Amino acid sequence: MSSRHISRRDALRLGAAAAGGLGLAWATAGCAPGTRGAAGPMQFWQQYAPAPQQDPNLVAQSQWFLDATRRWADAGERPVDMVYIPAYTDPTNTRLTTAFASGSGPDLFLISPGDFLRYYNGGVLTDLTPYLTQEAIDDFYPDALATRTVDDKIYGLPMEQEPLAIFYDVPAFEGAGLAEGDLPTTWEDLLELGRRLTGGQRAGLVLDTTPSYYQNFTFYPWVWQGGGDVVDPVTQRPAIASDAGVRALGLFRDAVLSGASPRTLPAGGDLVGAFSNGYAAMWQTGVWQVEAMRQNAPDHPYGIFRLPAPAGGESVTALGGWAWVVNSRGRDPESAARFAVEVMGSMSQESIGAAVEWNGVAKGNVPARRSVTEAIGNSGAFESPVLQQFRDEILPTGRGEPRYPPVIYKAVSNAIQNSMLGGADPRQQAETAQAAIDSYLETYEGGTLL
Amino acid sequence: MTAVTVSRTAGRARVGAGSPTGSSTGKAAQERRRRRAAFWFLLPDSLGLLVFVVVPMILAVVLGFFRMDGFGSFQFIGLGNYTRMAGDPQFWSSVRITLLYLVGVVPAIFVVGLALALLVQQRIPFVGAIRSALFVPYVISLVVVAMVWEFMLSERTGVVSRLLGAVGMDDLAFLGEPSLALGTVVVITVWFQMGYYMVIFLAGLQDIPGEYYEAARIDGANAWQRFRTITLPLLRPTSFFVVITATVSVITGGLDLVFVLTGGGPAGSTTLLIFYVYEQAFLFGELGYAAAIGSVLVVVMLAWSALMFAVTRGGRFDND
Repeated sequence: MSSRHISRRDALRLGAAAAGGLGLAWATAGCAPGTRGAAGPMQFWQQYAPAPQQDPNLVAQSQWFLDATRRWADAGERPVDMVYIPAYTDPTNTRLTTAFASGSGPDLFLISPGDFLRYYNGGVLTDLTPYLTQEAIDDFYPDALATRTVDDKIYGLPMEQEPLAIFYDVPAFEGAGLAEGDLPTTWEDLLELGRRLTGGQRAGLVLDTTPSYYQNFTFYPWVWQGGGDVVDPVTQRPAIASDAGVRALGLFRDAVLSGASPRTLPAGGDLVGAFSNGYAAMWQTGVWQVEAMRQNAPDHPYGIFRLPAPAGGESVTALGGWAWVVNSRGRDPESAARFAVEVMGSMSQESIGAAVEWNGVAKGNVPARRSVTEAIGNSGAFESPVLQQFRDEILPTGRGEPRYPPVIYKAVSNAIQNSMLGGADPRQQAETAQAAIDSYLETYEGGTLL
Repeated sequence: MTAVTVSRTAGRARVGAGSPTGSSTGKAAQERRRRRAAFWFLLPDSLGLLVFVVVPMILAVVLGFFRMDGFGSFQFIGLGNYTRMAGDPQFWSSVRITLLYLVGVVPAIFVVGLALALLVQQRIPFVGAIRSALFVPYVISLVVVAMVWEFMLSERTGVVSRLLGAVGMDDLAFLGEPSLALGTVVVITVWFQMGYYMVIFLAGLQDIPGEYYEAARIDGANAWQRFRTITLPLLRPTSFFVVITATVSVITGGLDLVFVLTGGGPAGSTTLLIFYVYEQAFLFGELGYAAAIGSVLVVVMLAWSALMFAVTRGGRFDND
């Protein structure tokens, strides 16, 4: 038996060597390009991947994606890992931005129209057209595909169309002695009703108040209704300072100044909570709230109506919704594109069936494809008269959410915020926005602004 | 089997084993060993600072001279981002708002933190529980703090609105009115940070010898005179620390609070500079411009710290 002493110096050396070894292992594991495995599964970043939550609706949506990836892997194709990104729907989420900036963006990801050009202009979106049949392309509603298409090339496959409408709380209406026949059809009626229904803890008409892509999304249809636009899709020149743009800004300002609309969102922005507790009577929001109401307040009576039009205008709404896109700098864009098309854009019964399951059951919203609309009919989630109304009455008035780059978004957002909550002159705000957009477009190079 | 033991005396034994002529040589060797040990002990922290602070800072400064599209494309533009900054009205607006925020928060934190420290220094019942209660906000996530306050301040339905309803002020939109929003954020920031600065001031107060107060009492000094002539002067090192750290935390912090509470609104009234940097980087993908603004922020804070050190002669506060 031998005995060996370790001095403090030896102990220090050992410690330093161990720390160095661990550090090296950590550094190589973290920095090596093969961290995610060049030959490993592809990654699909989005908000629907399994996450630590128990909401049955969200679990069903996660399961839908898991089923799609399992079928793909079972067919012997390169597997796809679903990666849950917290707060993915927030456009300021840092995960995607930093991943792409460091050259490690996911193979597939979901994208909203508002973010489309940022990625298209960055050159990271794969053209999916070669993988699609003409029949499948024709199957998509034109408005659903338009904002994901540049120069006749399709870069994103929409999962859904999410129209905006005004939701109203039936008990609030009944309490004020109002019936369906009193639903407003003009802006003046809308504001008048908003004022009338405001009182106590209840807000009459809720328009979005937080500066964000979403607020802009809810604002655009009011501009369109007067025949205006933010950027003219034909001339590609700014048009927000038109009468229609000024009137829309004026509507938002008058709604707040007249007391018809609150300055902040009731119930922290939760429509279900606001209706259930009598905190709001009318709320401009989207089709996704139908499923939220069904899950969380199935017995609470509510209805919807189309966005009222200005005098001489027509009711128009905006269509949101998420689309699948493929990273052209991913590890296997070809395989990822085939996967996206197989699930979202094929005429196979499996693809249509999956979309039926998504729009008609798991998510409960308006399909982006005609075949899916036909297959669902009035079954599943579409047994709801509200969803039928969205599909039959409101969808035909829809136009795809614009795909404006961040600078244009910000110019419009400032105009909305300053008019609505700062009480500024709408014309002056529209002209400021117009000048900012004009200056930006002088040097803009990228996809067409729609 | 090998027995492995760590000898506590091994080093010393070797030091003592030197030749009779080696007294000074032994001291030198001991000094070398101490320096070496210090080096190894400092190495992990220094490496951490180097990798996670110094290198990113240098890279951020370098990035400020480039235009980036956020997708791997770099273009050297020299001082382009800095000239853009000079002509960017939104940048200057956020600077103005940040200064207002600073002027609102730092003096308030100083006064409230010191007042609370003076309060909890007294021998009052349950003082431990009171100290803990006052410190609790600081350990709560700022996002949670923001959400709680958002509900409390909710227009018409929040508890604050209901209380104000008793005096006919139930429709105040603290977070939706541009003239109120920044002040509201200031109040929440002070509420959140007051416990931390209370503890700092308390430590400073406990360092002041009690004999000074005793002598002052004997001389007939009243409470205010004791506070003005003993407490405040002897708290100068603590005050210096509080002002410096509060300023830095105000300039670089507040992002989570503003992000959750107002999103920079209403009408841009809470768009702090740090929020503007975040927006440029992660909403616009303008990483180069955001890095340039960040660099300016660092320079401003360094200048502020240098000024404070100069004014206070290195924070020593001695009179010789």
